[in-house]
Amino acid sequence: MRTSFALTGQRPVSVVPVFVKAVLSAALLIHIGWQAAAPPPLARAENLGSPPPASALRVATFGDPVGLSAALMLRLQAFDNQPGVSIPYLALDYAVVEAWLAAALGLDPASQYPLMMAAHLYGQVPDQKRQRQMLDFVHRAFLEAPERRWRWLAHAALMAKHRLGDLPLALRYADDISRHAGTAQSWARQMRIFLLEDIGEREAATVLLGGLLASGELSDPAEVRFLSQRLEELKNAEKSSTPSRFR
Amino acid sequence: MSNRIATIGQYTVLEALRTRLPLLAALSIAVLLGASFFVREIAITESTRLQTSFYAGTVRFAMFMLTALHVIGSIGRDFQDKGLDMALALDLPRSHYVMGKLAGFLAVAAALAFAAGVSLVPLAGWEGTAQWTLSLALELAVVVALSMFCVITFTSLMPAASFVIAFYLLARVITAIRLITANPVAGADTVPHQVMQWLIEGIALIVPPIDQWTRTEWLVDHSGSWTMLAAVAGHAVLFAVVVTAAAVFDLQRRNF
Repeated sequence: MRTSFALTGQRPVSVVPVFVKAVLSAALLIHIGWQAAAPPPLARAENLGSPPPASALRVATFGDPVGLSAALMLRLQAFDNQPGVSIPYLALDYAVVEAWLAAALGLDPASQYPLMMAAHLYGQVPDQKRQRQMLDFVHRAFLEAPERRWRWLAHAALMAKHRLGDLPLALRYADDISRHAGTAQSWARQMRIFLLEDIGEREAATVLLGGLLASGELSDPAEVRFLSQRLEELKNAEKSSTPSRFR
Repeated sequence: MSNRIATIGQYTVLEALRTRLPLLAALSIAVLLGASFFVREIAITESTRLQTSFYAGTVRFAMFMLTALHVIGSIGRDFQDKGLDMALALDLPRSHYVMGKLAGFLAVAAALAFAAGVSLVPLAGWEGTAQWTLSLALELAVVVALSMFCVITFTSLMPAASFVIAFYLLARVITAIRLITANPVAGADTVPHQVMQWLIEGIALIVPPIDQWTRTEWLVDHSGSWTMLAAVAGHAVLFAVVVTAAAVFDLQRRNF
């Protein structure tokens, strides 16, 4: 097969005037130098604006809501999950964060990504009001699809007890799991029992994560890695009595 | 008759092979696949789902652009180089030219769809990938027919490409637009709104709902079915026939 890679019909580079080559090289070098000299972009919490309205998002999907949902989540994640930003979450307007998470979940209800971010990222801030906002979001999302989202509410119940010190809230979440999520793992449907037991957060998280790993719920290697890292940090934080990295 | 159509089809495929189309397609797929691995690495969960949805969404659009621009460029070149005039001077019926070109471009579109879909097998499994790839091939078939009609009607690249891109984007948002106009926040009973709604419903009678085809959910949630695909195939064939007939109609009326 004769391809168009053969340079028949084209003249050699040597026929190009020196002036043209010099201008091209110089302009390219100046352009690259200009870009290199510009300061790198910084993630500023106040730059996070509200998501577009639902009708606009529906049009913007171009018939592919799953793709747009993924794009929204990665955009939100990029604002917060960057090195060098000392207090990324506390400075955020959590109403806006919740709007982004709800928008992404609305576009792709089968995705767990928004709930993972709510429960394990944004819910980790040392601010009770913000934590409650995220737990409330997870709870509302759970009630829309309990069979699919019970494990996030299980984590929320844990957080309600150990981070907020709100046992009644934790028990309410545990009762909702046992009432609405018939296909949840047995340890999750019996969360009320081990919430009422006097065990620490590390032990409870170990039970939660151990149960998930043993049941085969966690199939995504990135998620296993992330949650294992979270557990390690929890163990190290308890040993050294320093706050968690997610502030 | 079939010899002429087959010969034109054959040379159309040969033209696609001898231009940079295979290289461009391979490069596009490689770049998008590489970007999807980057997306997979930055995801903290559901990495396969994110990778699949990113790659499927972007490669679908890339294949649409490659197909549309290749068809418009190829036929536009025939017009400008007077290749069509020479072919018609050899007593070639105009409809045979259109059918031959269509056959060749459909083969090229099928190859592009297959090349795009093959990378999805490890991510989404055989069945979902097969359904998605076949749907993409049907979608590209519609794009081929539409591009041929536009370039025959407009005879130059810019207006033809603009129309095809605008039509494709409209076909992908028409369902959302219909839903929004059917359920407005306010002013549902006003005359302007009624007129707008009739206009949009009228447009929806012509524009195929391409947003319901080649869905990413078929890959990530395995929610597609062969019955659904059969309906997509029927609709795609019907629309392609309509547009191709319009192209033949227009070419028959053209003075050379």
